[in-house]
Amino acid sequence: MSNTLTQLDPNRAWAAYEPSAKRPWNVARAAHLYRRAGFSANWAELQSAVKGGPQATVRGLMADAAHAAASKDDQFESQMNAMGRTMMAGNNPRTLSAWWLYRMRYTPSQLLEKTTLFWHGHFATSAAKVTKAKMMLDQIALLRRGALGEFEPTVRAISRDPAMLVWLDSTSNRKIRPNENYARELMELFCLGIGNYTETDIKQMARAFTGWEVRKGKFVFNRWQHDTGSKSFLGASGEFDGDDAVRIVLEQPAASRFIASKLVRYFVSDEPALPDRLVEPLAKQLRENGFVIGPVVERILSSDLFFSEHVAARKVRSPVDLGIGLLRALEGATDMYQLAQSLDQVGQAVMYPPNVKGWDGGRAWISSSRLLGRANLVGALTVGGRAKFAGGGLHTLARKHNVSGPADTVDWLLDLLVATPVPRAVRGELVSLLQGRGDEGKNLARVVSAIGALPEFQLA
Amino acid sequence: MTTTRRNFLKHSLGTSALVSLTPAVPALFLNTSAHAAAARRTSDNILVVVQLSGGNDGINTVIPHGDDVYHRSRNVTRYQANQVLKIDSYHGLHPQMTGFKSLYDEGQLAIVQGVGYPNPNRSHFESMDIWHTAKPTGEGRVAGRETGWIGRYLDAQRAAAKSPKNDDELAALHLGAGRLPLALAADKTRVPTVTDLTAFKLQTRNDGALRRTIESATRFDRGSDNDLLSYVQHSTVNALASSAQVQDALRQYSTPIAYPQSPLGQQLRTVAQLIEAGMSTRVYYVSLGGFDTHATQRNAHAALLKTLSDAVAAFTKDMAHHGHDKRVITMSFTEFGRRVKENASAGTDHGAANPLFLVGGGVKAGLIGKHPSMTDLDQGDLKFHTDFRAIYATLLKQWLGLPNPEAVLGGKFGPAKVLG
Repeated sequence: MSNTLTQLDPNRAWAAYEPSAKRPWNVARAAHLYRRAGFSANWAELQSAVKGGPQATVRGLMADAAHAAASKDDQFESQMNAMGRTMMAGNNPRTLSAWWLYRMRYTPSQLLEKTTLFWHGHFATSAAKVTKAKMMLDQIALLRRGALGEFEPTVRAISRDPAMLVWLDSTSNRKIRPNENYARELMELFCLGIGNYTETDIKQMARAFTGWEVRKGKFVFNRWQHDTGSKSFLGASGEFDGDDAVRIVLEQPAASRFIASKLVRYFVSDEPALPDRLVEPLAKQLRENGFVIGPVVERILSSDLFFSEHVAARKVRSPVDLGIGLLRALEGATDMYQLAQSLDQVGQAVMYPPNVKGWDGGRAWISSSRLLGRANLVGALTVGGRAKFAGGGLHTLARKHNVSGPADTVDWLLDLLVATPVPRAVRGELVSLLQGRGDEGKNLARVVSAIGALPEFQLA
Repeated sequence: MTTTRRNFLKHSLGTSALVSLTPAVPALFLNTSAHAAAARRTSDNILVVVQLSGGNDGINTVIPHGDDVYHRSRNVTRYQANQVLKIDSYHGLHPQMTGFKSLYDEGQLAIVQGVGYPNPNRSHFESMDIWHTAKPTGEGRVAGRETGWIGRYLDAQRAAAKSPKNDDELAALHLGAGRLPLALAADKTRVPTVTDLTAFKLQTRNDGALRRTIESATRFDRGSDNDLLSYVQHSTVNALASSAQVQDALRQYSTPIAYPQSPLGQQLRTVAQLIEAGMSTRVYYVSLGGFDTHATQRNAHAALLKTLSDAVAAFTKDMAHHGHDKRVITMSFTEFGRRVKENASAGTDHGAANPLFLVGGGVKAGLIGKHPSMTDLDQGDLKFHTDFRAIYATLLKQWLGLPNPEAVLGGKFGPAKVLG
């Protein structure tokens, strides 16, 4: 499989997907799009995506994201802001994860939220150290505003972001002893990747960020502590400040490649990793078009490669994808505080990434206890009764969509929940489980619980 | 008192009884056969790795209190000679490390000084990866496919095993909430991560049909060209099997030793439970984070060292109580030390060489090697004189019985004289 992947023509790979007899536009491909561009689609969304066609569906996702990023006063935003203010008053960062999960579950723009989560993993800052709810919320809002926009303003803003500076121990940065941390992470983790700079570059660049401080929770530029002298890094010399440093870093060809390959890994495939030559057209697009993220994401999501067999089910679902995905697909509602705790136990607490590198993703999501924890989480939401679906039990949901008969019901659930077909015999076992004694709602819950333990359910 | 309990377990939990609990998998990871008991020595030894994440300030751990340069370089973070737990006129342990000091006095603590590697990297992730993979940057390391030094050891042992059925899932175990440490990543052997052993089981609320469906539906061969799917499927089958076995092993354990309530203390208590239960797990891996003390480090660092010292001391005592002290070594390491000079934020920045601790009845107790010079520095940092891979090589060969550590470490290192 990876052989054929390396043989793909890069330009064809990113050309628009055209449905064909071999690759029809159907429920499976629509569900794939929603699992990657968002968390998951429910049955009505899948039906309307199938009717609308792939390009219109992707355009719709982009339009929703643009609308959501710009709007401040629609109903959902007002509701989220009110909840956010309540949290800030209590200043309990532990409620932050629940707040964000709620947002992911109910947002009208899955793509914007999914991309914001991408940047959160990229500029990974943990509330465990920041401890101020307001700082964390401000940072997430910054990432959401810039999620699909120009990258450079986002990097400039994140370089002054109080949460980031607290996180990286850079709240006071004096010229006599520059703090190297931010300069290092700016190059290693945020923009270039290891191997594209030297220790001398770090030392020199650290001087450009001197005087960038946080006081009383706000960014201040302390000109007395700023080193105004000439610095030399990445082949440039001058009396640079932090903004110059950001500009020079982003002018490196490595920057566009680094960001493009991270986007590709996030939206397209954990394994196999796409070869550099397949990533290059996207990197080029970033370089030549002002480093704007949205158009590259749109190109990825509407591409021939994205809907091909090469990348279907080639990602491991993150815990958030799994938990929010289950709820969105099955129109479920649950206690978000409890969900946040469960997701933490299987390896992902949003707002609390493990380190500045973020979550590794891919196989790193998988371990024995996490697999058991994932299955137990789905079990708790279904047979454990911790979630409601379409306002009731799973039978309420099935009735709402006129689904009946054991085989049809199992196929319908699999369409909603898994990224790749399960073996015939497994489908048979699920059908038998559904026909067990006891009431319909309980048996449906058992089937979804069993699906939650399947390897197919762990993939996206 | 030492071996009776183990023997009792061996007799009462015979191999066949264990196999019958979970017929789908071999019970080889429980070291229950008479054959295994006869083959003591290195085949019975255990290594417990305690990773200190963030870069521990070694200069304030094994403190050169007899060195003026130390006092001059550390205006805010230093400890005076009368505050440290004195080892000699030059060295002392941090005042909070009373547990380590007792271990030192009892001849159970080896302090290997000046440990590091050439061209030290000062990025947390890169340096930690170097320690985990035992390979410098770029040398045969492929992103996402990297294996660790313990992982490669496990694969080598597995390849050398005579019985092809020796698919020992619990040859090593990671305890903690995070991802599997790269050190344990292997091509063939899958090392489980266990967050909480009591939660380490499939909960089906006594629904036998649901449990049977899950067990059988996950076991079907996927026959797919999707490697990720096969990986997840095998991992799921392993998780179900090993959780059933761990639950069984845990039912037998008691100790009079009071462990600290810290997560590290509780994790080491779990390790003790598993060792006492007779598991044949050879390597246990736990972590303690928070050592990246760039600012106002004094109290935070003291608390961390206390956590480490108390937990390891309780664990070592417990091992002695149960008669395992001669077969368990605890090693603690960190990705790098800190600069000699403190910074302007009452903290310390990323440095290089550092002390490494080995604890247990099998170590060559005392100070090993000289404290690196406080004046002959490498870009402001201590220079190493003992390559960490020499310690790995010694542990692999002399402690864990691997004949050719060269293959695992990609070259000949050591031996270091660190074992008794």
